[in-house]
Amino acid sequence: MSAQLLQPAFADPVLDAQRGFRAALKALAGPGLIQSLHDVPSLEGLAPATYALCLALLDVDTPLWLAPSFDTPLIRANLAFHCGCPLTSVRSEAQFALLAADDLLDLSGFDTGNDRYPDQSCTLLVQLPSLNGGQVLTWHGPGIERQHSISLPLAEGFWAERERRNEFPRGLDLFFSAGHELIGLPRSTRIAEERA
Amino acid sequence: MNDMTQVSVRDAAYNFAYLDEQTKRMIRRALLKAVAIPGYQVPFGGREMPLPYGWGTGGMQLTAAILGADDVLKVIDQGADDTTNAVSIRRFFARTAGVVTTESTPDATVIQTRHRIPETPLHADQIMVYQVPIPDPLRFIEPSETETRTMHALNDYGVMHVKLYEDIATFGHIATAYAYPVMVDERYVMDPSPIPKFDNPKLDMSPALMLFGAGREKRLYAVPPYTRVTSLDFEDHPFEVQKWEACCAICGSRDAFLDELILDDAGTQSFVCSDTYYCAQRVSQQEQGQ
Repeated sequence: MSAQLLQPAFADPVLDAQRGFRAALKALAGPGLIQSLHDVPSLEGLAPATYALCLALLDVDTPLWLAPSFDTPLIRANLAFHCGCPLTSVRSEAQFALLAADDLLDLSGFDTGNDRYPDQSCTLLVQLPSLNGGQVLTWHGPGIERQHSISLPLAEGFWAERERRNEFPRGLDLFFSAGHELIGLPRSTRIAEERA
Repeated sequence: MNDMTQVSVRDAAYNFAYLDEQTKRMIRRALLKAVAIPGYQVPFGGREMPLPYGWGTGGMQLTAAILGADDVLKVIDQGADDTTNAVSIRRFFARTAGVVTTESTPDATVIQTRHRIPETPLHADQIMVYQVPIPDPLRFIEPSETETRTMHALNDYGVMHVKLYEDIATFGHIATAYAYPVMVDERYVMDPSPIPKFDNPKLDMSPALMLFGAGREKRLYAVPPYTRVTSLDFEDHPFEVQKWEACCAICGSRDAFLDELILDDAGTQSFVCSDTYYCAQRVSQQEQGQ
């Protein structure tokens, strides 16, 4: 591992990790509401928000699955150094997975937990170019007072794929990130098409 | 800032908020899953805390995992800010995290509580952390964890209604007055911690995030904001909260949860608000009004 590959991560590992986590907690407790993270480092290929989630949540206990587009020597080296998380190529072993928009049409293999322990499911970190510009959908469920209209730029097939993998309480929880911002989509959120 | 708020200096001998970073990450990951599955009990690797089980170790671990340098912490014990448990926990985090502590409900961003929800309405930027002794509402009916986990998995809660029915058969009404079981988002039956059933309606569609931590049992669970939380009941025996004929002897409130005081050997009663901040606010408003 060459020394130039390694780049600085959080300036204050304790408090920056706490801020990253609280943004994630707020994003998941208020699905669809954009949370912003400031003063976080970025890595070539990883947006600041994505990288902050990795640094805040990953460690030796969390096998990570990398989509091919994120599987670069730079990302591997820095996640290994700063998080120490084992990488896995087997989806079912992963507790976290790093994906791009293109990877969302096939979510097979990721652990959705089981009825007795639905918490043992995989969490997907999805990096997008932006958090709007797609089809407008209505989100409702826990964490949402009435409903939110969200237009994530995702292929239509993703929502059917999510539906297939979601059999509450089993399911996949997602974080969408772009630049410094992130949105949470827990399995409990119900999605409907916007009525014209 | 007002006189209810205290600024303190962090003791650098401890990691921020006492717990080590890997423990915090483990609890944080569990909390995210708890929020994603409202009302479901997530197992976590509970740590020993520098105080005995039963004094709020579960709540403290959750508070330690979520607390940041900008947070304002309030701790209450049965509604009171000035009881032993509340004072010790507040001092613990003032020392290990250097956070600002307060007695004011609206000023707090994190409220750790033992068995009450404040009377003052909560807002969206607040997190409530509950101390929980026995997290599983089915535990008193079925002692086996394997069995209760299967019952939760199968959404098999008939036995819970049988217990409430037995109350009606014996006493003529549902006699459960605290830790009254609730249904979260129409899926999981949850123990709201031993809060009086008076507080149960405050859980429903609350704008604040609710986190529950049981240290001895090593379980945590959550109710996200704006989540439907209904107290279990029957059509002919609907859920009801406690009512008092008396009012608070200090502030005169008729809407708050009242504690009974026995004043002498003859059993003379008096009632006061259990929420000390709420009571003190009302008294100072009345004084200003005069």
